[in-house]
Amino acid sequence: MTRDGIALEADLLGKKYGGRGRGWALRGCTFALPAGRICALVGPNGAGKSTLLALTAGLLRPTEGTIQAPPREHLAYVAQDKPLHPRLSVADTLRMGRELNPGRWDETAAQRVMADELDPHALVRDLSGGQRTRVALALALGKRAELLLLDEPMADLDPLARHQLMGLLMADAAENGTTVVMSSHILTELEGACDHLLLLRGGQVRLDGTVDELLAAHTLLTGPVADLAPHTVVESRTTGRQLTALIRHEGPVEGPWETQEPSLEDLLLAHLRTTPEGAPA
Amino acid sequence: MSTLTLKGPYWVTVRQYRRTLWLVAGAVLLSLASMVALMYVDTPTPGTDRNFDYTVLRVAMDWASSAMILLPLIVGAFVAGPMVARELESGTYKLALTQSVSPSRWLGSKLLTAGAVIVPATVALIGIYRLGWGNVAGTWSFQWYEAGTYEATGPVLVAQALLALGLGALIGQLIRRTVTAMALTGLVTGLVLLLVGQLRWSLMPVQTLTAPLTEGMEIPNVPASSWQDEYGLVTASGDRLPSDACWQRTEVWNVCPADMNVVAQYVDYHPSSHYWPIQLIETGIVLALAAVALYAAFRVLRARHP
Repeated sequence: MTRDGIALEADLLGKKYGGRGRGWALRGCTFALPAGRICALVGPNGAGKSTLLALTAGLLRPTEGTIQAPPREHLAYVAQDKPLHPRLSVADTLRMGRELNPGRWDETAAQRVMADELDPHALVRDLSGGQRTRVALALALGKRAELLLLDEPMADLDPLARHQLMGLLMADAAENGTTVVMSSHILTELEGACDHLLLLRGGQVRLDGTVDELLAAHTLLTGPVADLAPHTVVESRTTGRQLTALIRHEGPVEGPWETQEPSLEDLLLAHLRTTPEGAPA
Repeated sequence: MSTLTLKGPYWVTVRQYRRTLWLVAGAVLLSLASMVALMYVDTPTPGTDRNFDYTVLRVAMDWASSAMILLPLIVGAFVAGPMVARELESGTYKLALTQSVSPSRWLGSKLLTAGAVIVPATVALIGIYRLGWGNVAGTWSFQWYEAGTYEATGPVLVAQALLALGLGALIGQLIRRTVTAMALTGLVTGLVLLLVGQLRWSLMPVQTLTAPLTEGMEIPNVPASSWQDEYGLVTASGDRLPSDACWQRTEVWNVCPADMNVVAQYVDYHPSSHYWPIQLIETGIVLALAAVALYAAFRVLRARHP
């Protein structure tokens, strides 16, 4: 089990896939996610997001290090490809959730996700990508898990459904104190919903902390080109004699620049654009 | 095939493969109906050699023999492909293994459900085969020891189907491709059964019949419906010689030069009373192999999914 108040904890976690040309998908990951957080898992393609979620779900064994997550009964996982049995009907798929989670299944929570949008007799194979996502999310929420792992949950949804389901998810998590880890490429979907951030890059944790702390630790500045020491430059661009930079400040920022706190999107984009070595791409 | 009383992963398995279950039930009923119809339609031709009786039934029983030999291969292919490898290939195992059911229970419920269908269905098919066999038993190509008839009339076929189940569970996990796993399981099951079949006639000591040497290419007659093994010549000291040993010297069959000291000829055979002992010993061996395959399948599962 995990420590008190910690929903998920990794210690020097690493995963190497077998086979030619495949190396470490994840290496040296150490972090602790407090319970009740809504954590955004961000990173470029191939950063190790899906691997981290599958390790957390217990579907993969770590190659090295450890991961402390709730047992199978207490977590729910929606994989990126939303695997469902194609020849079961929607109603049968939800019944499956009830049969495989005896004593914990919450039909009301599952039905809230379904929102009467789907014909219960429709076969899963005839559903659109977005409809499948809805069924997969219903299965996950119906399980009443402590930790909800969602791998790009909203990618297939239209903006309306995305808005509705995101709202529902946040309300459900807040009501039940569920910890959520959600990977996504859609930065706007994370803004406002997530209070914790885990940024992976090249299989390693680059940023880890609450969104508020991370935003407060960074400064977006514009002004004349000058030495930015002692601050850590995340990303900088110069246009003529004008400098725009996102820095992780060490002490107060004093200089001829205009400063402002970055938005979550600014912060993520800046970190995603830089190469793993930290220099601008 | 009521799903009302089924619970948990058993409900899921039955629901997932309900079309296959109906197909199996339909195939068994169709076999029964065809066999009964054939028995009514096809009558013995009076006064003729029994080996040519029931012409239509004989053809149908020939097909039935071949189908029964292939039955374990089909079972193995289905378990390996649609039941195991497809879940791994399509990713639906991620769904199953993140519910509140342990991996062992997940695979166990699949295999128990499959077994609960395979065993009664195989027994029913054996019963149906025996129904038709009753009319042609002991005649040409339907002796108890004949390939096909031997398997299709006894418990060994049930054990073979269970071995196929175990091999399917193992190979389906190792080869995570539906079609490849099906083909490979069919192949491996066939090979293992062929190897075990090679041992079949060594499972019981043969009986030996000796008869005086008479001129001509006559093999002593073994009791009716016996499986004839080796035959040849016996010398005064009890040594066995090939049946053509004298012919090599005298160019006349079974006329031996005095210096060879041949006193009689012999035939080794399994009488039809060996049918049940051989069936039961072979069933035991195949069931033991099935247990090994199942154990390996669960070891692989536990190694991959804690």
